[in-house]
Formats: sequence, C-alpha cells, structure tokens
Amino acid sequence: MLMLLKFQYSISDRTWNFYGLALIAMLFIFKAYGQEENNEAWQVHGFIAQGLIDVNGSSFVNNDGALSAELTEIGINGSYQLNDYFRVTGQAVYLDGGNRYVEGARIDYALLDFGVYQDEKWLINLYLGRFKNNNWLYSSTRDVPHARPSIILPQSKYFDGFRDIAMGSDGLSAKVVYSSDNFGDFDFYFSYGASSLDTEDVKLLLGDLVQGKGKQDFDAQASLYWQPLFSSWQFGVSVLDSDFNYERSNTDFFYDAQFSFQQISTNFLYEGEKWEFSGELTQSKFTQAGFYFDDFKKGSTGVGVYLQSRYQYNNQLSLLLRAEKFYADKKDKNGSKLEENTGGAIPRYFGYQNDITVGASYQLADNFRVDLEHHWVEGTSRLTPVVMPNTEVNDQRRWNMWAIQFMYWF
Amino acid sequence: MQVITHASINVESMTTSQLRRIYSIRQLRWANKTPIVVFVLPSQHIIHKNFSKNILNIFPYKLDRIWNKLTFSGLGVAPTVVQSQEELLKAVSITPGAIGYVDNLNKEADVNVIKISI
Repeated sequence: MLMLLKFQYSISDRTWNFYGLALIAMLFIFKAYGQEENNEAWQVHGFIAQGLIDVNGSSFVNNDGALSAELTEIGINGSYQLNDYFRVTGQAVYLDGGNRYVEGARIDYALLDFGVYQDEKWLINLYLGRFKNNNWLYSSTRDVPHARPSIILPQSKYFDGFRDIAMGSDGLSAKVVYSSDNFGDFDFYFSYGASSLDTEDVKLLLGDLVQGKGKQDFDAQASLYWQPLFSSWQFGVSVLDSDFNYERSNTDFFYDAQFSFQQISTNFLYEGEKWEFSGELTQSKFTQAGFYFDDFKKGSTGVGVYLQSRYQYNNQLSLLLRAEKFYADKKDKNGSKLEENTGGAIPRYFGYQNDITVGASYQLADNFRVDLEHHWVEGTSRLTPVVMPNTEVNDQRRWNMWAIQFMYWF
Repeated sequence: MQVITHASINVESMTTSQLRRIYSIRQLRWANKTPIVVFVLPSQHIIHKNFSKNILNIFPYKLDRIWNKLTFSGLGVAPTVVQSQEELLKAVSITPGAIGYVDNLNKEADVNVIKISI
C-alpha cells in the first residue's frame, strides 16, 4: 500500500484505474483470508450498492431516458496502524453513474496519517497523500451509500459533475479537534492540494468537443464545525478557493483558458431521536478567461440552498423530504440574460435548478438497506457538461426521476 | 450496565463528557499515554442501544455516523465491533488499553470497572 502513496499529478486515468482495481482486489483478498481476529492494527471495511434509476426529461444519467442500472457503487478500504504516531490508509471505489461522472475505478484516498498531538481535549492530525474533502456536511461520505442521506445528494452543493474534483485532492490536510467541558466540540479542517484531470473529466466539465488538456492548479479549503455541549445541534462554515486551466491542442476549436472558483458555505444539523433537520447555504463565484476566444471573459456568482428533514418512523423505516434551489447566477435568477447572451442557443432554464425530493429508507438487516426516492426537478443548470451544455437532449424545463438502491456494507 | 477497561488502566471514575470523547474518537489515549482500544457491540444490539442512549446520552445512529465518517474518509479508526457480551468481556480483559461495556459483570472477570458520573 505504501507504493500507492507516491502520487504524480500527471498520472493517467488508465494508471489510476489500475491502482484502484489493484487496491480493491488486494483488500478483498486480505479481508477474506488475512485478517487475524482481534488484531486492531488492521481494519478493513467496504460497501457494495446496486440500484435502478429512471430519469425522464433530462440527460442526468443517460441521453435516451431509458430505465438504467447505472447506479453501481463498490468500495473497500484498509487501515494499518504502523506505530503510536503513524497510520497508512486507503480506499478504492468502482463507480458507474452514467452521465453523472466518469465510469470506472479510482482511489478515493490513500494517505499517511500522522498523529501530531493528542491529549484529553486536543487531537491534531496531519494527512499526507490523497485525502478526502471533509469540509462540507456530507462531503466525506457522499460516495458511501449507507452513510449519506439519499441516493442522489443535493446537486446545488454536491454536483456530481464535480464529483472527482470535489471528492479530494493530492497534497496535505490537517484536522484539529478540541473538546471543551463548557462550550462543546470544535472541529477544524484545512487542506491544500490539487486533483489530476484526465480527458474524460475535462469533457464532462467543458463539453464533448474539447481536445486539449485540463489541470487543476490548486485547491485550498478550510472549515470549522461547532457542536454545543450535550446539544443535538451542530453548526458549520467552510470556504474554498481553486484555479483550473485549459491548454488547447493544435487542432482544437477552443482556446487556452483559466477558470477560477471561490465558495463560501454555511450549514446546520439537528439530530433528534425521531426528527433530523439539516441545510446548507452556498455562494460560489466563478470566473472564466479565454476558451471561446483569447479575450473572452465571464464571471458569475451562483447561490444554492437546501433544507432537509428526516423522520425515523421505527427501527427500520425512515422518511426523507428535501427542498432545494440553485441559481447559476444570482443576478440572473430566471436565466433570461443567459438566453439573451447566447442568442437563444442556451435556454433560460439552464440558469437554475430546483428540486423537491421525497424518499424512504428501510433497514432490511444489520448491514443491509434499501433506499427509494423521487425527485421533481425544474431547470437544468446542474447537468453535465457544464460549460457547453447539451441543449439537444435537455429540451424541457421540468423533469423528474426516481431511483431505488440496495446497499450492503461491512 | 457497567463500563469496563483492561485491568492495567488505573482509572476509578469518569464523567459522561470524558466517556463521550472516547466513544466519539476524540480522545485516543489514557492519561498515562496508553492508546485506547474501544470495543462495542453491533449497532442494533439492545445493550449497545441502552449504553449509547442512557450512558453516553448519544442516539445510536449518531454514533454510527461518527464512526462511518472516520472509517470511510480515512480520518481515523472506528471502534472494533464484537458480536456478544462474552466476546467483548474477553477482548477487554486481554487487550491493553481496552474499554467496553457489559450489562452484567461476572465478579471473577479480570477487568477494571469505571464509575460514570455526570
């Protein structure tokens, strides 16, 4: 596994797939044959989830609107405590989500965990390697079927098109935990790194016609969470700053480009015995220079918010209700300027996306669950590709989808 | 319900806050620097549910979330799950730094019992 900690930003997607599959195979073999009873230094966990998803009226999963089994998520992770201060850990996943993200295996995280300091109230860790994004309410478990609130997460915050970039980075991250007997629990996270983008990632973001290369220059994130003492409430705030660039190929239709992305977000969570409430409010500033022609410039500030409630009906069944709104540009909430500026090529409903979701979750056994949900969606601004949207398939303002997913974990 | 540790842990009492820190993996070492090894019963086990709600004052699903986040994000290591009280008692008695809980403790068990105060 130590070999997997050696990262290069230029590593190809095929190599990542190989490393991901190799790690999955190695950990499954270890889980089946190698783990000694009560050997706490080693831990192996994982999940397998398969579902069906049917989207009517958009290219969210596929372009033909057919019922799809492209709802597969398999993951396995291992952790080994080297000594009192150092631990190595990694997780590989295989995903198939249709148009939502690139199909295949990848390494979610593979890192060296250094326990810098710990006493009764303080805990400070540094993580070196590929780390997961722990800054948003559900960012660290967005790809873990049994640990997230729904099959499809709120796209205003957890946009699947950005999944591989938002999931984590290669670099350094830190966690500082402080537990006060008077004020409660404080968690601070910081990370700095970059993600590698392969050809498919670039096409997913920019459009199928691009021929050049994309690169993330950096991604810096920080967050602070506070849970008052013995309280069911938790409050959080997070910030993000990231730059990308696009380098055209010799035969490209497009030009070199620089993309910049800044985000500030706040969230809350209430966890009662029967009721749970949560929400996130996010403002994102996006600027683009180049791409369509050398001097092209574009800037917008998007806003997204969702409110979610969950009711635990009994030990097996819980119910979900969520309302979400997203505007790609808060100064153009109905998308009319977008339509006007593109000469009508991009319909105004690409300027926003609102979603009402109802769902149910049923615990079939200790480690076996089924989730079912329905979404009523208005607008198409959170579909891939982002920069050059697919207006041919997405020719309706309103669309909907339902999904069912079975999940097992260990 | 009794909270137990390995016999070598020289701690007689603990507050609920301290115990919560240990079970939410916010405290990883005893005062003498020995690493804490946390053992639990499965989430659906009635003794685990009672321990979580009545001793820790945390709903069991919330503990699951804390541990899932650690396990599937690489941030840390979740407690070790054992299937029965007998297994848990045995694991705590033979693992240095271990902590766990049992509903009824056999007087002959070679473990340290901790008194929990608010």
